[in-house]
Amino acid sequence: MASKDVLGIIFSNANDEVVPELTALRTMGSVPFAGRYRLIDFELSGMVNAGIPQVGILTNSNYRSLMDHLGNGKPWDLARKRDGLTILPPFNLSDSGVFKGRMDALYGSIGYISDSGKDYVLITDCNVITDIDYEAFIDYHIEKKAEITIAYANGFSPKIKDATELVLDGDGRVIDDRLNDNYLNSVNCSLKMMVINRNLLERILHEANAKRITGFEEFFARNTGNIRIYGYEHKGYVRIIDGIKSYYEANLDLLNPDVRRALFPAGKPVYTKISDRVPAKYGINSSVKNSLIADGCKIDGEVENCILFRGVTVSKGAKVRNSIIMQNTVIGENADVEFVIADKDVQVGVRKKLCGAENYPVYIGKGIII
Amino acid sequence: MARKHECVAMLLAGGQGSRLGILTKNIAKPAVPYGGKYRIIDFPLSNCVNSGIYTVGVLTQYQPLVLNDYIGNGQPWDLDRFDGGVHILSPYQQIKGTEWYKGTANAIYQNINFIERYDPEYVLILSGDHIYKMDYSDMLDFHKANNADCTIAMIEVPWEEASRFGLMLVNDDGSIAEFEEKPKNPRSNKASMGIYIFNWKKLRKYLIDDEANEASGNDFGHDVIPAMHGAGERMFAYQFDGYWKDVGTIDSLWDSNLDLLNPKVDLDLDDDSWKIYSRSPAAPPHYVSASAKIENSMITEGCEISGDVDFSVLFANVRVEEGADVKYSIVMPGTVIKKGATVQYSIVAENSVIEEGATVGRSPEEMSNIEDWGVTVIGNGVTIGKGVSVEPKAMIDTDMGGEK
Repeated sequence: MASKDVLGIIFSNANDEVVPELTALRTMGSVPFAGRYRLIDFELSGMVNAGIPQVGILTNSNYRSLMDHLGNGKPWDLARKRDGLTILPPFNLSDSGVFKGRMDALYGSIGYISDSGKDYVLITDCNVITDIDYEAFIDYHIEKKAEITIAYANGFSPKIKDATELVLDGDGRVIDDRLNDNYLNSVNCSLKMMVINRNLLERILHEANAKRITGFEEFFARNTGNIRIYGYEHKGYVRIIDGIKSYYEANLDLLNPDVRRALFPAGKPVYTKISDRVPAKYGINSSVKNSLIADGCKIDGEVENCILFRGVTVSKGAKVRNSIIMQNTVIGENADVEFVIADKDVQVGVRKKLCGAENYPVYIGKGIII
Repeated sequence: MARKHECVAMLLAGGQGSRLGILTKNIAKPAVPYGGKYRIIDFPLSNCVNSGIYTVGVLTQYQPLVLNDYIGNGQPWDLDRFDGGVHILSPYQQIKGTEWYKGTANAIYQNINFIERYDPEYVLILSGDHIYKMDYSDMLDFHKANNADCTIAMIEVPWEEASRFGLMLVNDDGSIAEFEEKPKNPRSNKASMGIYIFNWKKLRKYLIDDEANEASGNDFGHDVIPAMHGAGERMFAYQFDGYWKDVGTIDSLWDSNLDLLNPKVDLDLDDDSWKIYSRSPAAPPHYVSASAKIENSMITEGCEISGDVDFSVLFANVRVEEGADVKYSIVMPGTVIKKGATVQYSIVAENSVIEEGATVGRSPEEMSNIEDWGVTVIGNGVTIGKGVSVEPKAMIDTDMGGEK
């Protein structure tokens, strides 16, 4: 039970640029996912379920929706006198403006990290959807007497700007850490999650600030020889959101019972802000097949292969297929919608037709009336 | 002493609800699940906070474990507060001995000290037996405008049902002329809803007098209200128009759940301006498989549906397997209905298992004698074995075996 000695840090804005449509008005962490959640719920719940008592959320821009979602951390049992949840707005010690990389983002909150007094820091992004067990990850770090442990999965390298490939020796120690911009198959791809000893993190941050290094990769690549950096292989479910298509696929993955079991394991609930919506209502002649339906939905039409978020209305005669429909969106009577990602509060008018393609879902922005 | 509060609500939640049979074997009636994700007590509690009343004493006595746990610190209703908030008030030991709550009035009498801490002008007395949405602040305004000592919420019920209720004859100015308790030949259809507002100082006096009267049954309806009326206190009836249903019997609980599926019934639980709050089970959205067929139903988080569901209300984490058929039924949290099982005209309580091919309940049309028909009830944690058939009106609270 080392988790009580761990500080969690979540980058809520990392990789915002890969889904500019979804992050125009919000952070990656507050991107809606899986019918009733925001991406950050999975990181936060994972940490809480692992027994981590203190979590700091690093923000950079557009974080009002994130603050609204997190509140004081109560839904995750993180509203506490001791430890608990803290939102860390941009705080720049060196120059003005928002931060450029992970190192200077963390450096801006170095006081918070230091004051936590925790032995270890677990650092994650929000766009990696996985069933990783943080407790096992931390135990591995301790068992290997590592100073830094980076989680990786063998597979496709995502199309994110700091996609990193780990090269390991037989013992699992990282001997090289290189940016992978060819997006190769079958590489040991970093999940952008690491456990790091807090004292070392503080030292690195001071050094990096002095040398104007903003990203971890450059620093790690130079130091694999003198810092004990280990890789921790995660063999379970992984989906890295690196564009609107993978966002779409990650949602539809939840129609697979194995993925649902992986992401919603028994006894480890995923917590989110409670909205107190009434259960979903199915009308006469409604037809729903292979779909995930949240509370507050009203369905009088046909729905197939969809994720419907809270409070979605599918009117009489409407057809919605292969689509992700976010909170409070209304699909009008006899409308026909396929391969669409509709953001919150969209209104698709009576008899309107909208159709994307399987490899290119159409995105409809928040509040748009069609 | 706490800051002065204008109005304190006292919620009588100690009743057994014996007419609900096995559904209240281990839980108090206010904790009975309703409407897919609520418990009955969510309605008065949500009404309180939506009406701006943030100090609520909940009087518990019968099987309080589930209820106490459910209310917790009151957070789901925003009743976790420094100033006021929700307080569970159980009977306690005193220097003169220990006493159970002898009646509704005695329960309040025993908690005079709790109420006095807030030094209120008014006390609102509620019960945990009804499904309704009501703004108590309007009723309080009415009470003040009439300079009343006691105001009783009243609803007009169908004349043919009136004899089941406590009725009031009301004068033109809204004051109460006379009370009739469940009369054979009703002279009024204005029924008391069991919701009272009292001027606290006055009520306090009557509670003390009532306690001193050894002949009294210590009940609001039977003793305290008649005593106040007899003494000529200013008593008014506040008319409520809207959905209000006592869910104290199996039939009314079943009816009231199915009312939610009827678009003509005036009970909108998805009203942003008057939300009904509840403790969330933290489950993912429900999944409907390619083999499912769902119509006219309410389904909530955590359910996995592969069978047919029609005219039913399913609570959290219910599983309906392929080929199973659920009709005109209420299925409470965590219950599993296995392949090919049929559940109709039934209430199935929490965490039960209906095994493959079992048949629970029957439709009235199938009955040769309609007198034999009734809603079937399966209790908590009961397993109905493979192929077993459960008759209409049956109440089952132990496992029923089947072919092994």
